[in-house]
Amino acid sequence: MDVSIVQIVLVFLVTFVAAIDQFDFLESLYQPIVTGPIIGAILGDVNTGLVVGGTYQLMTIGNMPIGGAQPPNAVIGGIMAAVFACTLDMDVNLAVATAIPFALLGQYGVTLFFTLRAPLLEFFRGCAEKADTKGITKWTVISEVILGLIFAAIVTLFFIGGQTFGQTVVDAIPEWLNNGLTAAGNMMKFVGFAILLKVMMSRDMWAFFLMGFGLAVIGANITTIGSSAILLVLTFIGFGIAFWDFQQQTELKGAALDGGDFSDGI
Amino acid sequence: MASNEFVIPERYEDLTPAPQVDNKTLNRMALRSYWLQSSFNYETMQSGGWLFAMIPGLEKVHTNKHDLSVSMYHNLDFINTHPFLVTFVMGIVLSLEQNKMDIQTIRAVRISAASPLGGIGDALFWLTLVPITAGITSNMAIDGNLAAPIIFLVIFNICQAALRFGLMKWSYSVGTSAIDSLTANMQAFTRAASILGCFVVGCLTVTMGTTQINLMIPNGTTRGLAATTIVVSNEEAENFADAAIDTETAEPGTIGMTDMDGAALTASDADGNAVETGIVDLGNGMSQVTYGTVTETDVNYSVASTLDSVLPKLIPLMLVLLLYFLFAKKNFTPLKGILVLFLLGILGAGPFGLWPNIW
Repeated sequence: MDVSIVQIVLVFLVTFVAAIDQFDFLESLYQPIVTGPIIGAILGDVNTGLVVGGTYQLMTIGNMPIGGAQPPNAVIGGIMAAVFACTLDMDVNLAVATAIPFALLGQYGVTLFFTLRAPLLEFFRGCAEKADTKGITKWTVISEVILGLIFAAIVTLFFIGGQTFGQTVVDAIPEWLNNGLTAAGNMMKFVGFAILLKVMMSRDMWAFFLMGFGLAVIGANITTIGSSAILLVLTFIGFGIAFWDFQQQTELKGAALDGGDFSDGI
Repeated sequence: MASNEFVIPERYEDLTPAPQVDNKTLNRMALRSYWLQSSFNYETMQSGGWLFAMIPGLEKVHTNKHDLSVSMYHNLDFINTHPFLVTFVMGIVLSLEQNKMDIQTIRAVRISAASPLGGIGDALFWLTLVPITAGITSNMAIDGNLAAPIIFLVIFNICQAALRFGLMKWSYSVGTSAIDSLTANMQAFTRAASILGCFVVGCLTVTMGTTQINLMIPNGTTRGLAATTIVVSNEEAENFADAAIDTETAEPGTIGMTDMDGAALTASDADGNAVETGIVDLGNGMSQVTYGTVTETDVNYSVASTLDSVLPKLIPLMLVLLLYFLFAKKNFTPLKGILVLFLLGILGAGPFGLWPNIW
C-alpha cells in the first residue's frame, strides 16, 4: 500500500498528541482502543483499526504504569499494530504480536528519557529562585514538546520504513511462526490479568477470583445476553459483593469501637 | 551547583494567614493538575508538574516575593503520587501554605499525604475503572462497534474530572483533617476495591480468554457400509447377487450384497438412514440393485472437547495462574512473562514443522 505525505503528517501528529497524553492531559486518548480507529481512519480502514485497537487494549489491561513501573509502551505498540494490520493486511492477532517488539523498544526509550530528563529540573529551580512563574510554564511546555517530538519522529520512521521492510518480513514468515505469533498475541492479555492479580491478591481474594470465573462460565453460555452486556452484568454482581463487604468491614469496626467504649455506657 | 546555594528558611517572612483562595483559582489548579507528569524524571519524579499545578494558588497566598520563591523552590521536592488523586494533596498543601505553617511541616505533610495515594489510585483507576470500561468497550470494538472508543473516553474522563475538581475543593476546605477522614476507612476501601478487581479479572479470564488447544489426535478408524442404489438390466443384476463379503475384514471400497452367511446387509444411505441391500425386479427387464460399499473413516480425538468436559476455559485459567505464579512467587517481570508466552505460542505451533500445530 502506498502512503501519501498527508498520511505521514497525520500519523506524526496523532503520535505527538498520544505521546504527551500517555502521561498528562486526559491520559486516555493514547489508549490503543482510541488510537487504533484513528490510525485506521488515516490509512483508510477504520474497522480494522478499531478491531486491532480493541485487541491490543485487552492485552494492556492491567499492564499499566502501576507503582511507577513502565509497561511495554502502549502508544508505540498500539499505533504500530494498527499500521501493520491496515497496510500489510495482517491478521489482527498477528499484527498485535508483531507490534510488541516495538512496544518494548518504546518501554526502554521511555526509561532512558526519564533518566536523561532529570537535568531539566535545574531550569525549574532557576525559575523558582527568581519567583518566575511564567518560566515554569515555559519549561513545562518545552519538556512536553521534546517528549512528543521524539515519539512522533520514531513512530513516523517506523511507519515509513515499515512499509517496504515490513512487507518483506511478513512474506518471509513461515506458517508455523505465523501460527505461533498469533497464538502468543492471543495470550498476551493473560499477562495483564496476572499482573492485576499480583497487585490485588491476598489469601482471601482467591475465592472472589474463582467466583468471578465460575459466574462468567455460566454467563458465557447464556446466549440471550450479548457478549458485551454479560461483563457489565457480572460487574454489577461483583460490585454488590464488594459493597456488601465494605459495609461489613466498616460496620464491624464501628460496632467494635462502640462496644469497647464503656466509659460512656451505663 | 548554583541551586544548592539557595537557602530555604524555617518559616516564611510574612506569617499573616492569607485570605481564602477563591473557587476560580482552585479550578485553575485542578485544570493544571492534568499536566502533573509533564516533566516526569527519575530524580524528583512529578515535581516540575506539581509546581506548575500549584502556582495559581501559591501566587494568591504568597504576596511577598521572597516567600513565593521559597515556596516554589521547596515545592520542587521529590513527589510521586497518583495523577488522578493529586488534587487531594494539592488542597491540603494549599491550606497549609495559606496558613503559613512551618516549611518543614508543609514538606512532611506533602510527602506523607502524596505517597500512599499511589496505591489507592492504582486500585481505583488502573485496577478497577480501566479494566471494567476498557474490558467492555474492547469487546465492542472487536465486534466492530465504532461507539466503543467514544464510550470509553466519556466514562473515563467524567470519572477523572469529577475526582480532580471534586477532591481539589473538598480537601482544601477540610484541610489537614482530610487525611484522617480518608485513611480511617482506607483498609476497608482497599479491600472492597480488591474484591471487585479480583472478581472482574476472574470474569475477564472467561470472557476474553479464547486460547484453546485445538489439536485433533488420530484415534484409529471406524468402518461402515455406504449404500448405493442403481438401476441396471436383469442380466447385470445377476452379477451383484453373489457378492458376499465379511464386513469386518474386507478392504475399504469392496462392494457387497450379503454377508458370508447369505443374509442381506444393512448399509446407510447418503442421509444416514439404514437400508437393506437387495435386488428388486422392476418387471420391465430392469432391476433396482441396492449394494453396500465398505468404508473406513479416520476417527479424531478432540483435546478441546475433553478439556471442556473437565472445566470450560481451563486453558485460560491455567495460563493466568501460571503467570501469576511466575510474577508473584518467582519475581518475573512482565517482560519475562511476555517472553514465556511467545515461547509457548511458537513451541505449540510446531516450529520448523517438527510437530503439529496445537493452537
